Amino acid sequence: LAKKTKDKNMSNLVEEYFEAHSSSKVLTSDRTLQKLRKRRLDQQTLRDLLKKAPLAYAAEIKELNQQHESLFSKWMLQLHLGFNIVLYGLGSKRDLLEKFRTSMLQDSVHLVVNGYFPSITVRSVLNSITEEVLDHIGTFRSPLDQLEFIIKRFKEDSSLELYVLIHNLDSQMLRGEKCQQILAQLSSLPSIYLIASIDHINAPLMWDQAKLSLYNWLWYETTTFSPYVEETSYENSLLVQQSGSLALSSVTHVLRSLTLNARGIFRLLARYQLENKDNPSYPGLSFQDFYQQCREAFLVNSDLTLRAQLTEFRDHKLIRTKRGTDGVEYLLIPVDDSTLTDFLEKEDEDV
Amino acid sequence: SQQIQEDLNKQLFDNLVSFLRRSHSGFQEKTTEWTCRMKSREIPTAALLLGVNVTDHDLTFRSILEVLQNNVTPYIALLEAKDCPGIKNLMQKLMGQLMNCYIDEDLLEDKDCVQVSQTRLRCSMTSLINWYESVTKKTDSEAPRKKRTSSSRHWQSPPVVVVFKDMESFTTKVLQDFIVISSQHIHELPLVLIFGIATSPMIIHSLLPHSVSSLLCIELFQSLSSKEHLSTIIDKLLLTDQFPFKLGEKVLQVLINIFLYHDFSVQNFIKGFQLCIMEHFYSQPLSVLCCQLGDMKKRVNSLSHSQCENIRRLPSFRRYVENQASEKQIALLTTDSYVKEVTQKLLEDLHVYHENYVPVLRCLHVFMSSLPKYPMGKQIRELHCACLENQVWETEEYESSLQLARMLNKSDLVTMLQRCVEIFVSSSGKEFDKTVEKLKEFLTQFQKLEAEGVQEQDVSLSSQKELQKKTDLYHLQKTLLELKESRRSKKLTKFEMLRFEVVAYIDRLVRNYLVPADHKTLHEIVYFNTASVLREHMNAAPRIALHTALNNPYWYLKNQALKSDGRSISNKVPDICIAYKLHLECGRLINLVDWLEAFSTVVMAAEGPNADAASSDQVDDIIHARFIRAVSELELLGFIKPSKQKTDHVARLTWGGC
Repeated sequence: LAKKTKDKNMSNLVEEYFEAHSSSKVLTSDRTLQKLRKRRLDQQTLRDLLKKAPLAYAAEIKELNQQHESLFSKWMLQLHLGFNIVLYGLGSKRDLLEKFRTSMLQDSVHLVVNGYFPSITVRSVLNSITEEVLDHIGTFRSPLDQLEFIIKRFKEDSSLELYVLIHNLDSQMLRGEKCQQILAQLSSLPSIYLIASIDHINAPLMWDQAKLSLYNWLWYETTTFSPYVEETSYENSLLVQQSGSLALSSVTHVLRSLTLNARGIFRLLARYQLENKDNPSYPGLSFQDFYQQCREAFLVNSDLTLRAQLTEFRDHKLIRTKRGTDGVEYLLIPVDDSTLTDFLEKEDEDV
Repeated sequence: SQQIQEDLNKQLFDNLVSFLRRSHSGFQEKTTEWTCRMKSREIPTAALLLGVNVTDHDLTFRSILEVLQNNVTPYIALLEAKDCPGIKNLMQKLMGQLMNCYIDEDLLEDKDCVQVSQTRLRCSMTSLINWYESVTKKTDSEAPRKKRTSSSRHWQSPPVVVVFKDMESFTTKVLQDFIVISSQHIHELPLVLIFGIATSPMIIHSLLPHSVSSLLCIELFQSLSSKEHLSTIIDKLLLTDQFPFKLGEKVLQVLINIFLYHDFSVQNFIKGFQLCIMEHFYSQPLSVLCCQLGDMKKRVNSLSHSQCENIRRLPSFRRYVENQASEKQIALLTTDSYVKEVTQKLLEDLHVYHENYVPVLRCLHVFMSSLPKYPMGKQIRELHCACLENQVWETEEYESSLQLARMLNKSDLVTMLQRCVEIFVSSSGKEFDKTVEKLKEFLTQFQKLEAEGVQEQDVSLSSQKELQKKTDLYHLQKTLLELKESRRSKKLTKFEMLRFEVVAYIDRLVRNYLVPADHKTLHEIVYFNTASVLREHMNAAPRIALHTALNNPYWYLKNQALKSDGRSISNKVPDICIAYKLHLECGRLINLVDWLEAFSTVVMAAEGPNADAASSDQVDDIIHARFIRAVSELELLGFIKPSKQKTDHVARLTWGGC
C-alpha cells in the first residue's frame, strides 16, 4: 500500500511539474516596486531595521543548538576515523561551526573557509594551506600542482594534522566541478579533517560517485533556524539597493565635488533624458546637440572643454556613450529614471 | 572501546583487501599473460570492464599495477582523466610517472633524479623514446647488478604499460591524439594500453572513430560483478563467528538496499559497516563485552556496579529475569556477582548460538537454492535476513519451500546431503557430530535404497511401457485411472518415507538453531539494530529536511504556538516559513510586490492587537526588512532566483508543494 501511495505521489509530482511549466504565459499582476512609492533600503539600514525586529522563538532555537552541540565529541571521533562531516538543514550553521571551532579545535591547526564570501577561490584555500600550514613560500603553476605538493607533504609527515571548516560548501564560488574535485581530494587525505555545511537544495548534485567516495561524508541534520546574516549579506537581492549599480547617494556625492558648470552639464543631460523617458527608441543625446545646448546655456565655451568634462563623467561611470547607426556618439545616463527624478528634485532644492 | 573498534576496523579491512586481491588475481593473471604475448604492429590494448561502481576501482588498479610491476615490466604509468585536460598534460604526466617508476624500481643515485627533473620540462614523444632507448640499453649492456634487477625478471625490451583509469571521462580528442601519436612510434617504443571501462565496450567505439580504433588491437576482460563481491563480503564478514560484532536485520537490510538501489559500491557498503561498528561502540555502554570469548570473561569480572545496572536494564535481560524462579529473580536484581556469573553463561550461550547458526544457515541455503523459483530467495543474504527478521518457520515462503522439498528427486537430495555433511564437518561447532552422523546415516540408507530403487523403477517403467503400447483412447484412460488409483492406494515407498524423514530432520534443525537473534538474551551487546542512524548519516535527504523545517517548524521548535494543521498559513511561524508558504501558492513567476503585500498582511495579523497607529510607518519598514531577509534566504536556499522576464519578478525553481 505504501508503495502505491508513493507511486501516486510521484505521478502527482510529475503532473505538477508540467502544470507549472506548460503555459509560457504567466499570469501575475503588473505591479512593480517602483509604483510602491517606497524608498529602497540599502544594506546598512536593512541591518539596522532587522536588529530592531526581535528574533522569534529564541529559547527553542537555543535548545535546538544545544542538541547539536552535544554531538561535538562524536564528530571529533568520526573525523579521526576518516569520515568527513557535512551539515545540512534550515538555518545558518555558521555559529554552530564557530562554536565547534572554539570549543574543540582551540589547540589544533585549523583553517576556516568562508564559502559565502564572493571572492573566495579554491586557489586561496590552497594558498593558505601551503603558506600558513606548511610554511612553504613559492608559487605553483596550477592548483593541481599545488594540490600534489600538499598531498605529498601530508603523506610524508604524519604528524601534520589539519582541520578544515568550510561554511557553505555549495556557494557560488566553490560549486564548480574543478573546485569540488580539488576539495574532495584534499579531504580524502587521512590527516585532513573536513567539516562543511551546505544550504542549497540542490547541493548534492555537485558530487558524483567518485567525489562522494573521496569526501566520505557523514550527513548530519542540523536545523538551526538562525537567520543567514553573513551569508545573505553578499547575496544581491532584488529588494536591496545594489551596490554595483549607481545609487542616488553616489551620484550626488560625485557631483558635489564638481564645479558649478559641470553640475549644470549633467543636469542638462539628465533633464533631457527624463523628457524622453517615454520614448522607447530614444537613443540618447548626440554630442553635437549636447554641445549646442551647453553653449546656449553658457556652460562650456569650446568643444574641448565639453569633451574633457564628459571624460570625467565617464570615469565616474555617470554617463555612457553609444555609437548609433549613423556613426554619431549618443550620450546616456545609466541610472534608472526614478533615481534621476529624485536627483533632479534634490538639485532643484539646493539651487 | 575505541581500541577494540580500531582493531575491528583493521581486521575488517584486511579481510576485505585480501579478498579483493584474491578475486582479482585470476583476472590479473589473464591480463599479465596477455601483456606478455603481445607482438603486433598495432597497439595492444586491454579493455577491462569494471562495472559502474567507480569507487571500488582504485583497489583493482592498485593490485593490477603491483602484479604487472612484479612480473612484466617496470614501466607503468597510471593516467587519470582529471590530470589530463590536454595532450600536453597527458605527456607530462606520462613521462613523469614512467621515469619515477623506473627510479623506484632501481633506486638510482641522485644524479639521475636531477636529470629526470630536467627532462620533465620538455616532454615530447622523441624524448620519451630517447629515454626508453637509453634505459633499455643501460639495462641490457651495463653492470650485472642492474641486469639482475630488471632484465632477468623481465625480458630484453619490456613493454611500457599505460593505464587509463577512467576511459569515459577522458576527452575524446586527447585520447585520439595520444593513440595516433603513439601508434607512429610503436616500433621504437613498445606500448601497451589498458583501458578501465565502467560501462560497456561500446564506449570505445563511440569515443574513438574508426580510423583510430583500427590502430588498436583490443581484447576485452571482464571483472567480477559487484554483486558477487557483495555476496562474498557478506559471507566473509557476517557469516563467520570470527567477528563478535553482528548486524541486526534492519541495518543489514538498509545496507543492502543502499547497495542494490543506489550505487553498487562495495566501498560504500564497507563504510556503512564501519559506521555501524562505530555507532555501536559509541552509544551502547555494554559494547565493551562485545569481544572474543577469551577476553569476555575478564571484562565481565571487572564490570562496575553501574554497568551491572545497565545489564539489568536491557529488555532482553528483563525478559530473562521474568522467566526465572522468584528467589533467583531477587538474586539477579540485587547481587552484582550473580549477575556477572549469569552474564558470562549467557554470553557463552550466545557464542555457541552463533557457532551453530552459520552452518545450519548454509545447510538450509543449500536446500533452498536447489528449489525451483527460489521461494526463500536465491542468495544466502536473503535467507539470513529472513532468519533474523522473525521465526523463519512461521513464514509462508518457508512452508511452501518445504512442500517443494518433499518432492525432490533422489540424486539432488543425495548431493545436497553430501554438501551439508561437508559444511558441518568443516564448521567448528561441537554439537554437530551427531548431526553429521545422522546425515551420513541418511546417505547410506539412500545407497541401500538404490538397489531397491532399480526394481521400483522397473515397475514404473513397465507401466509406462504399457501406456505407450495402448494407443486407443479408451484403454489409455482406463490405465491412467488405474495408475492413479494404485498411486493413491499404494503405501509410500521406502524412498519417499526417507525423503520425508530427511525433510523433517532439516526442519527440526532449522527450528533448533535458527532462532532469530532477538529472542536471545543479551543480544543487544553484539547486535547493532538502529537502522535510522545509518539511514540518516549515509543516505540523507537534505531537501526533505528543509521542507519539513519550512512547512512544519513545530517539528524542530517545540513551541505549542507553532502547532498547525499544515495547510493554512499561521502567522506565528518564523518569517521564512511564511514567505515559503506564500511562495508555494504561486506558479512559475512571483511578483515581488504582491508577495510583499501578502507577507505583510499575514505578519500584521500577528501584530494586529498590539500595534498602535502612530508607529505604523516604522512597523512597515521593519516588515519590509524582514521580508527582504526571508526572500534573500529563500534565494540562498535555491527556491527562487531573480528573473529578467518581467520587472520585479522572481522565478520559482521548484514546483508543486515542495
